[in-house]
Amino acid sequence: MTVRTRLLDPAVGQAMSALSATAKKGLGDPALAELVVIRASQLNHCAFCLDMHLAIAREQGVSEKQLDLLAAWEEAEGAFDERERAALELTEAVTVLTDGFVPDAVYERAARHFDEVELAHLIGLIVAINNWNRVMVSRRIPPGGYTP
Amino acid sequence: MTTTQDTPQDTTAQYAPETAPRLDWATLAPDVYKAMIRLDTAARQGLDPALYHLVKIRASQINHCAFCIDMHTKDALAAGESVERIVQLSAWDESRHFYTGKELAALELTEAMTVLTDGFVPDEVYEKAAKQFEETELARLISAITVINAWNRFGVTARMTPGHYQPGQHK
Repeated sequence: MTVRTRLLDPAVGQAMSALSATAKKGLGDPALAELVVIRASQLNHCAFCLDMHLAIAREQGVSEKQLDLLAAWEEAEGAFDERERAALELTEAVTVLTDGFVPDAVYERAARHFDEVELAHLIGLIVAINNWNRVMVSRRIPPGGYTP
Repeated sequence: MTTTQDTPQDTTAQYAPETAPRLDWATLAPDVYKAMIRLDTAARQGLDPALYHLVKIRASQINHCAFCIDMHTKDALAAGESVERIVQLSAWDESRHFYTGKELAALELTEAMTVLTDGFVPDEVYEKAAKQFEETELARLISAITVINAWNRFGVTARMTPGHYQPGQHK
Protein backbone atom coordinates (compact mmCIF):
# COMPACT_ATOMS: atom_id res chain seq x y z
CA MET A 1 0.00 0.00 0.00
CA THR A 2 1.58 3.24 -1.09
CA VAL A 3 0.39 6.81 -1.27
CA ARG A 4 -1.24 7.57 -4.61
CA THR A 5 -0.75 11.30 -4.49
CA ARG A 6 -0.23 13.84 -1.75
CA LEU A 7 -1.41 16.70 -3.93
CA LEU A 8 -4.34 18.73 -2.70
CA ASP A 9 -4.75 22.37 -3.67
CA PRO A 10 -3.78 24.36 -0.54
CA ALA A 11 -6.83 26.60 -1.02
CA VAL A 12 -9.04 23.50 -0.96
CA GLY A 13 -7.31 22.14 2.14
CA GLN A 14 -7.66 25.47 3.94
CA ALA A 15 -11.33 25.77 3.01
CA MET A 16 -11.95 22.22 4.24
CA SER A 17 -10.23 23.02 7.53
CA ALA A 18 -12.30 26.17 7.91
CA LEU A 19 -15.51 24.20 7.33
CA SER A 20 -14.52 21.59 9.93
CA ALA A 21 -13.53 24.22 12.48
CA THR A 22 -16.65 26.35 12.16
CA ALA A 23 -18.99 23.34 12.22
CA LYS A 24 -17.27 21.93 15.30
CA LYS A 25 -17.36 25.28 17.07
CA GLY A 26 -21.06 25.74 16.31
CA LEU A 27 -21.91 22.30 17.63
CA GLY A 28 -20.22 23.30 20.88
CA ASP A 29 -19.51 19.76 22.11
CA PRO A 30 -15.92 18.72 21.25
CA ALA A 31 -16.22 15.20 22.71
CA LEU A 32 -19.40 14.46 20.78
CA ALA A 33 -17.79 15.95 17.66
CA GLU A 34 -15.00 13.35 17.90
CA LEU A 35 -17.50 10.48 18.26
CA VAL A 36 -19.30 11.71 15.12
CA VAL A 37 -16.08 12.15 13.17
CA ILE A 38 -14.71 8.75 14.19
CA ARG A 39 -17.95 6.95 13.35
CA ALA A 40 -18.09 8.50 9.86
CA SER A 41 -14.43 7.60 9.33
CA GLN A 42 -15.19 3.99 10.31
CA LEU A 43 -18.02 3.81 7.78
CA ASN A 44 -15.88 5.38 5.06
CA HIS A 45 -12.85 3.23 5.98
CA CYS A 46 -10.51 6.20 6.34
CA ALA A 47 -7.40 4.92 8.12
CA PHE A 48 -5.68 8.32 8.27
CA CYS A 49 -8.80 9.94 9.74
CA LEU A 50 -9.29 7.19 12.34
CA ASP A 51 -5.70 7.41 13.50
CA MET A 52 -5.91 11.19 13.79
CA HIS A 53 -9.28 11.46 15.47
CA LEU A 54 -8.79 8.59 17.91
CA ALA A 55 -5.72 10.49 19.12
CA ILE A 56 -7.70 13.73 19.41
CA ALA A 57 -10.59 11.98 21.17
CA ARG A 58 -8.22 10.52 23.77
CA GLU A 59 -6.67 13.95 24.27
CA GLN A 60 -10.13 15.32 24.90
CA GLY A 61 -10.92 12.69 27.46
CA VAL A 62 -13.39 10.57 25.50
CA SER A 63 -13.48 7.26 27.39
CA GLU A 64 -11.78 4.13 26.08
CA LYS A 65 -15.07 2.34 26.59
CA GLN A 66 -16.86 4.68 24.18
CA LEU A 67 -14.08 4.43 21.62
CA ASP A 68 -14.05 0.64 21.88
CA LEU A 69 -17.81 0.33 21.47
CA LEU A 70 -18.38 3.08 18.92
CA ALA A 71 -18.57 0.74 15.92
CA ALA A 72 -21.41 -1.11 17.69
CA TRP A 73 -22.99 1.84 19.49
CA GLU A 74 -26.52 0.65 18.81
CA GLU A 75 -25.89 -2.54 20.76
CA ALA A 76 -23.76 -0.90 23.42
CA GLU A 77 -26.38 -0.23 26.03
CA GLY A 78 -25.30 2.21 28.67
CA ALA A 79 -22.20 3.41 26.83
CA PHE A 80 -23.84 6.31 24.95
CA ASP A 81 -26.56 8.70 26.09
CA GLU A 82 -29.64 9.55 24.01
CA ARG A 83 -28.12 12.72 22.57
CA GLU A 84 -25.00 10.87 21.47
CA ARG A 85 -27.11 8.08 19.97
CA ALA A 86 -29.23 10.58 18.02
CA ALA A 87 -26.06 12.22 16.65
CA LEU A 88 -24.51 8.87 15.72
CA GLU A 89 -27.66 7.70 13.99
CA LEU A 90 -27.76 10.92 11.96
CA THR A 91 -24.05 10.53 11.16
CA GLU A 92 -24.66 7.09 9.72
CA ALA A 93 -27.66 8.18 7.64
CA VAL A 94 -25.89 11.24 6.22
CA THR A 95 -22.74 9.23 5.48
CA VAL A 96 -24.44 6.31 3.71
CA LEU A 97 -26.57 8.39 1.34
CA THR A 98 -26.17 5.97 -1.54
CA ASP A 99 -28.37 3.41 0.23
CA GLY A 100 -31.29 5.80 0.51
CA PHE A 101 -32.34 9.07 2.06
CA VAL A 102 -32.09 10.32 5.62
CA PRO A 103 -35.13 8.69 7.27
CA ASP A 104 -37.67 10.94 8.99
CA ALA A 105 -37.36 8.98 12.24
CA VAL A 106 -33.59 9.55 12.29
CA TYR A 107 -33.86 13.22 11.44
CA GLU A 108 -36.63 13.81 13.99
CA ARG A 109 -34.71 12.09 16.76
CA ALA A 110 -31.76 14.39 16.08
CA ALA A 111 -34.08 17.40 15.97
CA ARG A 112 -35.36 16.51 19.46
CA HIS A 113 -31.87 16.52 20.95
CA PHE A 114 -30.32 19.46 19.10
CA ASP A 115 -31.75 22.91 18.50
CA GLU A 116 -31.84 24.07 14.88
CA VAL A 117 -28.55 25.96 15.01
CA GLU A 118 -26.78 23.03 16.66
CA LEU A 119 -28.36 20.65 14.17
CA ALA A 120 -27.22 22.74 11.18
CA HIS A 121 -23.68 22.64 12.59
CA LEU A 122 -23.88 18.93 13.35
CA ILE A 123 -24.86 18.29 9.73
CA GLY A 124 -21.98 20.57 8.70
CA LEU A 125 -19.59 18.53 10.81
CA ILE A 126 -20.79 15.24 9.31
CA VAL A 127 -20.33 16.73 5.84
CA ALA A 128 -16.88 18.07 6.76
CA ILE A 129 -15.54 14.70 7.94
CA ASN A 130 -17.04 13.04 4.88
CA ASN A 131 -14.96 15.51 2.85
CA TRP A 132 -11.77 14.53 4.65
CA ASN A 133 -12.61 10.85 4.36
CA ARG A 134 -12.97 11.24 0.57
CA VAL A 135 -9.75 13.13 -0.05
CA MET A 136 -7.74 10.82 2.22
CA VAL A 137 -9.13 7.48 1.01
CA SER A 138 -8.96 8.37 -2.68
CA ARG A 139 -5.35 9.57 -2.41
CA ARG A 140 -4.54 6.66 -0.05
CA ILE A 141 -2.91 8.82 2.60
CA PRO A 142 -1.50 6.40 5.19
CA PRO A 143 -2.38 6.58 8.88
CA GLY A 144 0.15 7.81 11.37
CA GLY A 145 0.84 11.24 9.96
CA TYR A 146 -0.89 12.99 12.81
CA THR A 147 0.78 13.90 16.09
CA PRO A 148 -1.35 15.57 18.76
CA MET B 1 -36.70 26.32 -23.74
CA THR B 2 -38.93 26.62 -20.71
CA THR B 3 -37.08 25.88 -17.54
CA THR B 4 -38.65 28.43 -15.27
CA GLN B 5 -41.85 26.66 -14.26
CA ASP B 6 -42.10 25.95 -10.56
CA THR B 7 -44.20 22.81 -10.91
CA PRO B 8 -44.01 19.73 -13.12
CA GLN B 9 -45.30 20.35 -16.60
CA ASP B 10 -48.64 18.50 -16.77
CA THR B 11 -51.10 20.85 -15.11
CA THR B 12 -53.98 18.36 -15.24
CA ALA B 13 -52.19 15.55 -13.39
CA GLN B 14 -52.65 15.05 -9.67
CA TYR B 15 -49.09 15.20 -8.44
CA ALA B 16 -48.18 14.69 -4.81
CA PRO B 17 -47.94 17.93 -2.86
CA GLU B 18 -44.59 19.66 -2.63
CA THR B 19 -42.98 19.42 0.78
CA ALA B 20 -41.10 22.15 2.62
CA PRO B 21 -37.41 21.68 3.42
CA ARG B 22 -36.61 20.23 6.85
CA LEU B 23 -34.09 22.83 7.84
CA ASP B 24 -32.94 26.16 6.46
CA TRP B 25 -29.37 25.20 7.29
CA ALA B 26 -27.65 27.98 5.34
CA THR B 27 -29.53 30.66 7.31
CA LEU B 28 -29.14 28.84 10.62
CA ALA B 29 -25.42 28.25 10.11
CA PRO B 30 -24.21 31.08 7.82
CA ASP B 31 -20.62 30.32 8.87
CA VAL B 32 -20.97 26.78 7.54
CA TYR B 33 -22.58 28.02 4.32
CA LYS B 34 -19.80 30.57 3.80
CA ALA B 35 -17.18 27.89 4.35
CA MET B 36 -18.92 25.68 1.77
CA ILE B 37 -18.96 28.49 -0.79
CA ARG B 38 -15.26 29.09 -0.19
CA LEU B 39 -14.56 25.38 -0.60
CA ASP B 40 -16.70 25.15 -3.73
CA THR B 41 -14.88 28.11 -5.29
CA ALA B 42 -11.46 26.63 -4.48
CA ALA B 43 -12.37 23.17 -5.74
CA ARG B 44 -13.64 24.18 -9.17
CA GLN B 45 -10.52 26.16 -10.13
CA GLY B 46 -9.03 24.92 -13.35
CA LEU B 47 -11.55 22.15 -13.90
CA ASP B 48 -13.29 21.78 -17.26
CA PRO B 49 -16.85 23.03 -16.55
CA ALA B 50 -18.50 20.55 -18.95
CA LEU B 51 -16.76 17.64 -17.24
CA TYR B 52 -17.62 19.00 -13.82
CA HIS B 53 -21.32 19.22 -14.75
CA LEU B 54 -21.33 15.53 -15.60
CA VAL B 55 -19.55 14.67 -12.34
CA LYS B 56 -21.99 16.77 -10.32
CA ILE B 57 -25.05 15.22 -11.94
CA ARG B 58 -23.75 11.66 -11.52
CA ALA B 59 -22.80 12.09 -7.84
CA SER B 60 -26.18 13.73 -7.18
CA GLN B 61 -27.94 10.80 -8.82
CA ILE B 62 -26.12 8.23 -6.69
CA ASN B 63 -26.69 10.26 -3.53
CA HIS B 64 -30.34 10.84 -4.48
CA CYS B 65 -30.11 14.61 -4.06
CA ALA B 66 -33.22 15.91 -5.82
CA PHE B 67 -32.34 19.57 -5.36
CA CYS B 68 -28.83 18.99 -6.73
CA ILE B 69 -30.11 17.04 -9.74
CA ASP B 70 -32.52 19.89 -10.51
CA MET B 71 -29.80 22.48 -10.22
CA HIS B 72 -26.98 20.71 -12.03
CA THR B 73 -29.00 19.35 -14.94
CA LYS B 74 -30.44 22.83 -15.53
CA ASP B 75 -26.99 24.41 -15.32
CA ALA B 76 -25.56 21.78 -17.68
CA LEU B 77 -28.35 22.33 -20.21
CA ALA B 78 -27.96 26.09 -19.96
CA ALA B 79 -24.22 25.69 -20.60
CA GLY B 80 -24.99 23.80 -23.80
CA GLU B 81 -24.72 20.20 -22.65
CA SER B 82 -26.85 17.81 -24.72
CA VAL B 83 -30.03 16.26 -23.36
CA GLU B 84 -28.80 12.92 -24.64
CA ARG B 85 -25.59 12.94 -22.61
CA ILE B 86 -27.47 13.98 -19.47
CA VAL B 87 -30.15 11.32 -19.95
CA GLN B 88 -27.58 8.59 -20.57
CA LEU B 89 -25.52 9.54 -17.53
CA SER B 90 -27.21 7.12 -15.13
CA ALA B 91 -26.22 4.29 -17.50
CA TRP B 92 -22.90 5.74 -18.70
CA ASP B 93 -21.12 2.39 -18.48
CA GLU B 94 -23.52 1.05 -21.12
CA SER B 95 -23.40 4.18 -23.26
CA ARG B 96 -19.68 4.83 -23.34
CA HIS B 97 -19.70 6.19 -26.89
CA PHE B 98 -21.49 9.30 -25.63
CA TYR B 99 -18.47 10.28 -23.53
CA THR B 100 -14.74 10.94 -23.90
CA GLY B 101 -12.09 8.78 -22.25
CA LYS B 102 -11.50 11.55 -19.75
CA GLU B 103 -15.16 11.83 -18.92
CA LEU B 104 -15.51 8.06 -18.49
CA ALA B 105 -12.51 7.91 -16.14
CA ALA B 106 -13.88 10.85 -14.16
CA LEU B 107 -17.33 9.26 -13.89
CA GLU B 108 -15.86 6.00 -12.68
CA LEU B 109 -13.78 7.82 -10.07
CA THR B 110 -16.87 9.81 -9.06
CA GLU B 111 -18.79 6.63 -8.37
CA ALA B 112 -15.97 5.00 -6.42
CA MET B 113 -15.40 8.10 -4.28
CA THR B 114 -19.11 8.59 -3.70
CA VAL B 115 -19.81 5.02 -2.54
CA LEU B 116 -16.95 4.86 -0.03
CA THR B 117 -18.97 2.88 2.47
CA ASP B 118 -18.88 -0.17 0.19
CA GLY B 119 -15.10 -0.25 0.09
CA PHE B 120 -12.13 1.78 -0.97
CA VAL B 121 -11.34 3.43 -4.27
CA PRO B 122 -10.09 0.47 -6.36
CA ASP B 123 -6.58 0.71 -7.84
CA GLU B 124 -7.96 0.03 -11.27
CA VAL B 125 -10.33 2.99 -11.06
CA TYR B 126 -7.68 5.31 -9.68
CA GLU B 127 -5.14 4.25 -12.29
CA LYS B 128 -7.56 4.77 -15.12
CA ALA B 129 -8.12 8.31 -13.87
CA ALA B 130 -4.38 8.83 -13.41
CA LYS B 131 -3.84 7.89 -17.06
CA GLN B 132 -6.34 10.49 -18.25
CA PHE B 133 -5.51 13.35 -15.88
CA GLU B 134 -2.12 14.65 -14.88
CA GLU B 135 -1.50 14.77 -11.15
CA THR B 136 -2.55 18.37 -10.45
CA GLU B 137 -5.67 17.98 -12.55
CA LEU B 138 -6.49 14.72 -10.80
CA ALA B 139 -6.11 16.36 -7.39
CA ARG B 140 -8.59 19.00 -8.58
CA LEU B 141 -11.01 16.35 -9.76
CA ILE B 142 -10.78 14.59 -6.38
CA SER B 143 -11.56 17.89 -4.64
CA ALA B 144 -14.46 18.55 -6.97
CA ILE B 145 -15.99 15.10 -6.41
CA THR B 146 -15.61 15.66 -2.67
CA VAL B 147 -17.40 19.00 -2.83
CA ILE B 148 -20.41 17.79 -4.80
CA ASN B 149 -20.71 15.00 -2.25
CA ALA B 150 -20.76 17.68 0.44
CA TRP B 151 -23.57 19.62 -1.25
CA ASN B 152 -25.49 16.38 -1.79
CA ARG B 153 -25.31 15.68 1.96
CA PHE B 154 -26.72 19.09 2.85
CA GLY B 155 -29.39 18.83 0.15
CA VAL B 156 -30.63 15.40 1.17
CA THR B 157 -30.41 15.87 4.95
CA ALA B 158 -32.14 19.25 4.89
CA ARG B 159 -34.52 17.89 2.22
CA MET B 160 -34.06 20.91 -0.01
CA THR B 161 -36.93 21.23 -2.46
CA PRO B 162 -36.21 20.64 -6.15
CA GLY B 163 -37.98 22.38 -9.01
CA HIS B 164 -37.39 26.05 -8.35
CA TYR B 165 -33.81 26.42 -9.49
CA GLN B 166 -33.09 28.90 -12.28
CA PRO B 167 -29.99 28.19 -14.37
CA GLY B 168 -27.04 30.24 -13.22
CA GLN B 169 -28.69 31.13 -9.92
CA HIS B 170 -25.79 29.83 -7.81
CA LYS B 171 -22.63 30.90 -9.54
